[in-house]
Parts: sequence; C-alpha cells; structure tokens
Amino acid sequence: MSHAQPRLAVRVSPWLRAWGFWIRWSTRRAALAALVPFVPVVALWAAVAAAGVFPAAFFPGPVEVVRRFGALMVNGILPAYLEDSVVRLAVGTALGMAIGIPLGLWIGLSDRAHRALWPVLLFFQAIGDIAWLPILLIWFGFGLATMTFVIVYTVLFPVVLNTVLGVRSIRPELPRAALSLGASRWRLLPEVIVPGALPNIVTGLRNGLGYGWRALIAAEMIVGTSGIGFLMFDARRAGSVVEILLGMIVLGVLWYVVDSWILAPIERATGERWGLVTR
Amino acid sequence: MTRRRQSPAARRAAAAAGFAVPLVALAAIWELTVRAFDVNPRVFPSIGPVFLAAIDATVDGTLLRHVAASLGRIALGTAIGIVVAVPLGIAMGTNRAVSAFFTPLLRFFSVLAGIAWIPIATLWFGYGFGAITFVIFNAVFFVVAYNTLLGVSGIPPALRNAAASLGAGRWSMFREVLLPGALPNIVTGIRTGLGFAWRGLIAAEMIATNVGLGYMLFVARDFYRTEVIVLGMIVIGILWLLIDRLLLAPVERATIERWGLVRAAG
Amino acid sequence: MTKSLTLRGLQKTYFDPFAGAEVTALRDISLSVAAGDFVAVVGPSGCGKTTMLNLIAGFLPATGGEIRVDDRAVAGPGPDRGVVFQSFALFPWRTVLDNVAFGPKMRGVPKARRHEIAREYLALAGLAHAAERYPNELSGGMQQRVGVVRALANEPDVLLMDEPFASVDAQTRMTLQEELTRIWEQRRPTVLFITHDVAEAVFLANRVVVLSRGTVLDDIASDLPRPRSWSVLIEHPDFKTLTARVLQQVRAA
Repeated sequence: MSHAQPRLAVRVSPWLRAWGFWIRWSTRRAALAALVPFVPVVALWAAVAAAGVFPAAFFPGPVEVVRRFGALMVNGILPAYLEDSVVRLAVGTALGMAIGIPLGLWIGLSDRAHRALWPVLLFFQAIGDIAWLPILLIWFGFGLATMTFVIVYTVLFPVVLNTVLGVRSIRPELPRAALSLGASRWRLLPEVIVPGALPNIVTGLRNGLGYGWRALIAAEMIVGTSGIGFLMFDARRAGSVVEILLGMIVLGVLWYVVDSWILAPIERATGERWGLVTR
Repeated sequence: MTRRRQSPAARRAAAAAGFAVPLVALAAIWELTVRAFDVNPRVFPSIGPVFLAAIDATVDGTLLRHVAASLGRIALGTAIGIVVAVPLGIAMGTNRAVSAFFTPLLRFFSVLAGIAWIPIATLWFGYGFGAITFVIFNAVFFVVAYNTLLGVSGIPPALRNAAASLGAGRWSMFREVLLPGALPNIVTGIRTGLGFAWRGLIAAEMIATNVGLGYMLFVARDFYRTEVIVLGMIVIGILWLLIDRLLLAPVERATIERWGLVRAAG
Repeated sequence: MTKSLTLRGLQKTYFDPFAGAEVTALRDISLSVAAGDFVAVVGPSGCGKTTMLNLIAGFLPATGGEIRVDDRAVAGPGPDRGVVFQSFALFPWRTVLDNVAFGPKMRGVPKARRHEIAREYLALAGLAHAAERYPNELSGGMQQRVGVVRALANEPDVLLMDEPFASVDAQTRMTLQEELTRIWEQRRPTVLFITHDVAEAVFLANRVVVLSRGTVLDDIASDLPRPRSWSVLIEHPDFKTLTARVLQQVRAA
C-alpha cells in the first residue's frame, strides 16, 4: 500500500506528518499485519482448551505450551535440539546446492546430458527421500550420514529442476550478445547463464528447503536421537502432547519466518529487480 | 538426406523410448556394478533377487495388499482434502477482508502441513488408518485451501464485476468465474499438497502402522532383505510417476498450460 | 571500426523436421561492404536476410562459402563483429552503464577506465542520465539506444544490425534512425543493417542490397545528401524515386 507524498505545501500540517509517519512505519512492518490474524486463533485455542471440549491430555492450552517452552529453553534442551536440526538442515542444503546447481547448469546447457539424465532425475525424485531411509540405515546406521544424505537428496531435485528451467528460460540473444561483445564461451557461465538463471535457482532453493525440512523432521522421527523431530516423536511415546504442539509451533514459526522474510524477498528481489519472469 | 515426417503416434513412441532408454541403461549399470564389485547382497542386491522378490510378493498378494493400503489412504485423504478445501478457499477468497485475515493463517498451516502432524495424529487417532489418513488430509487440505484462496483473490475484480453486470447469480459466479479463475492455483496446490501427502504417507507408514509400502520397506530393513527394500523403492517411484503422468500432468495441461501460465518446476 | 566485410559464395542449408526435408536459406551470397560503408539489406520475409546476419555474426555455421573481415576469414562469434539485436538483448541484471561497459570488461579493461568509456558512449546517445538504471526500467526506444551504444563502445570492425528498430513504435523509430545516422556520420563504422522497411533502408544507407530467396537480387546506391533528416528527406524527389525503385524490386522478388 503505497502513499505518495505530494511535495506541495512547505508548511505541512503536523497531523499529516504523523499520519505519513504511521503509514511508512506500519507498511514496512508488514510483519505486524501478518501477525494480527493469529491473535484470535490463539485466543480461540485458549478458550477451547479451557472449556475442556477435548481432554487435557489431548488438547493442552497455549499457556501450558508457553510454560513448557520456557522450561525447555532454560534447561537447554530446546536450544540444543534446535541447533541440531538447523545445523543438519544447513549442511544438507549447502551440499545439495553445491551438487545441484552445477548439475542443473550442465543439464540445462547440454542437450545430450538432458536427454540422458532427465528421466533418471524424474524417477529418483519420484522415489522420494523418505523411502531411502531403510536402506540408508543398513548402509550408514543411525547417524549423521543417513540424515545428511536424506536432506541432500531432497534438496537436490528442486534445485536441479529449477536450475535447468532457469537456464532454458534465458533468451537466446543474451549469450549471443555476450559472445559478440567478446566474451569467451567459458565466461558466458558467470556473466550470462548464472545471473540469468538466478531467480529460478532461488525458487529451487526455496522449494528445496520446503521439502528439506520436512525430510529432516521425518528422518529425525524415524532415525534420530536429537532434534525437533525427535522431540516430537519422543514426546508422543511419553504421551506428552504439550511438547508435540510445542515442536510443531516452533517448526511452523521458524519456517514461516525463513520463508516469508528471507527467501521470498530474495526471490522477489532477483526476479522483479531484473524484470525477469520466473513463474 | 530427407527423412519422412513423423506422425503424432510415432512422436509419442519416440518420447516414451527417450524416457525409457536412460532408465534401462541405468538398470544395466546397476547390474554390472553390483557384479563387478562383488557387492554383498545384503548391502545392495542385483536385479535378479529384486525381480524374484517382486514375483513372490505379487503371487502371495502381499505387494498388492501394501500397494492397495497406501493408495487407498492417499486417495481417501486427498479426495476429502480437496472436497473440503476448495469450497472453503473460494468462500474465503471472495471477500477481501476475510482473505486478508486468513491468508497468513493458512500459509502458516500449509507450511506446517503433513509430516509434522504425524506425532499428534497418532496421539489423537491411535496407530493405523485414521492417523495416516489424517496426515494426508492435513497435507492436502491446508495447501489446497491456501492456494485456492490465493487463486480466488488473484482473480481480477473486473472479471467478477463483468459477470455480475451480466446477471450472474451466486452459483453461476462460483461455477463460471471463481472456480475456473482459481483453477490453475488449485491445481498447483493439489500437486504440492499431494507431494507432501505422499511423503507424509510413506513416513507415517514407517512409524505408525503395519500395512503399506512404508511399512513394507521398514520391516524389510529389520531382516536385511535389501531386495524387498529396493523393490519397494522402485514401486514407490513408479506409483508416483504414474500419479504424476496420468493424473496431475493431464489436469495441468488442460488448465494451466492451456490458459498460458507457467509454473516453477519440482 | 573501419574494416571491410566480404562475403563470397555464402551458402546455408539446414534440415527442417516439420517439412521433413532440407531447406536452402542462402543460395549463393556474394557481397562486399567497403570500410566505412553503410549497407542496408532488404527483402521479403523468408528471403534469408536474418540468416545471413546470423552467419556473419557467427551464431550459425555456414554450409558453404566464406566470410572475411578485411582479409581475415571469420567463423564463430567475436568482438570484431558487433551485433545490435531486434529484441535489444540487454543484460537485465546489469545497469545500463555496466551493459555498455561489458565489451571492454571482456577485453580486461580496468573498471575506472571502462566506466569512463561507457559514459562517453552513453553521452553520444544522450543517455548519460540513465547510466544507473536497469534495462527493465527503460522504454523500448531507450533500451535500443543502449543496445546500439553497447555495440559501438566495443569498437568492432563491423557493426551488424538485425532489424534493430522493428520492436519500437513508429515515432521513436524515426528518432532512432536520425540518431543512428548522426552517430554514423560522426564515427563512420562499417555497418550492415537488416530491415524489412524499405524507406528505413534508403534513409539510413548509402547502399541498399535487395535479397530474394537466398540470393542477391540488386544493389542500389543511395547517394542522398547528408546529413539526413526525415523532415527534409520526405519531400526529396530522389528519396521518393529510390524508395519506389527498391520497393519495386522487393515486391517483384
């Protein structure tokens, strides 16, 4: 919601100025606007829990969740688990991108590579990350290697597929223009191909992370010894609903923040700034 | 050198071959590698045992049982999810204030959709069919509702005004303007939701039940029956490809591509 | 920027999968463009003029014949043959200044110097104020001016222009044409200009080559007085005769 400030009056009424200030402040804090709907939801939640519509063992209220959150923060378990989960995700994602982007660039540029590898990629993507857990457990046991593999696997496909899409959506005149301006074939890559595909690569990263954290949680539930997924699964075993809900909220908030306030703006910035259409 | 022009049937056959050849080559590489390195069959099987396991499981009906269980759950959960999400999303999307209110909410829940609900689902519904179907429903519902909402609120008001001034009543508006207008987003939502649901299904079946493809994989691990694991993985892959090619792609072609929108991949 | 361009017996055939047969785009093109010449190439759609430019630029391989800049045979793309594209082809992720400085950057010119060069050339086209903008913030006409200046800033031996003003509205086109002649009259690069607009060809060039079905049909001198402007030329009797003559050739092709 933009508000054009007309540069007319030299003497601007203080009310007008205050109003303009509020507009600028609140639109920049779009985050606030996004939080507003959650207030009644939380209130509703509290009301339903308090009313005892469902037994407390199945449906705790927000107050208990917050209290448990505090307790877990204080005794260090939540920060430790959070760190474990985030580190695994970060490592897996970094590796997934390190493999996926060059692979995507290659497949996007080479027709032969595309014909040979595209069906293979689609098939392995179809198998899905989680289905690999059993055989990974046999190979690597219950450890970091298994989890990293799953995350890398999950992140890899959206990154590769979107990178290929990005490369192929570069208008053919752009590399030609660069060549006619004296670029060597090799310089095309950093000067034209990567910048051209960048918006799509960012989309790939965003999608990849979306699937990636889910794979992480599933892996932690099935395999793990620490992490948020493990927290929730263990809490299930102990019958402790509060921690399950806590885990879910932490996950939701974390991903919501990362996706909406970090990834989406980056995606928008590259796509719109350069006037490229990505979707 | 002149070649004869390709008929559409020949072109389709060529495309199918183009898809199959690299996979066949992959299978060949698989077999050769396993033999060349004399890989322990408990680490990775060669094609033979996998094939035999497939025959066995088909003959004694276990494969069918697991596949049916998995497909049944996903079909039911997805169907209910779509049927509930689409009208709700459309209803919410028609009013500006309502959609502004619900968008962040639905977004939050669609972000959380699927796997993260497994623990609480098993707590609420116990182990088995109910919990798993709930996870699937959950994944599809929130994502489709969110995307439907986006789709409807993205319909240019000019279109709705035009329809209204042409005398469209509530039902016609829904059928002629809102539903088609939001359809590309709905379809994208179904694809994403189904993707989350499928993964949720496999994960949930590993933890929370005793029939289904996820279960089949997980229990095979206990007995080091890698050929069953590999069989299960291949079946999962084929099933998803079928769902994608036979269900999702045609629908997308009929809606999104026909109406000239391009979607991101993966 | 004053080298000659020679085409001898240029040929291009390719296989068209939809027709299921081979197509001959260029039959036997022989053409000399002297250093400092402005040659416009016109012809009906499908006569092969864009293919010819793509061959000279090195974007496509020729199936026969040779292309020489001065006396040097050329094959792939290179900075000796600068290109101005119909779709502008500016790099959307770089500012106008960085776009124009691209050629010098490829040659290894240090940043300060190449920005200086870029600004000189932008000033030549009256675009100094747009240096920090991104291409998608500019109108079509301005983008193409950047495109022209970008090619010139690299000081190519030959400048190839592929229907550069076709994507621009008629008014802007006339402005761009006048600007191009002004720049050409100052700098005298060797230019090969492809267009389907006969009047444009006669206005800009000092030679108009008519292409038809893959061969050169005619080569007409356009020796109208310079400097050229539309307001003057549109009344000029020679302009009308020349245009009519070229048009007749193109239509008969």
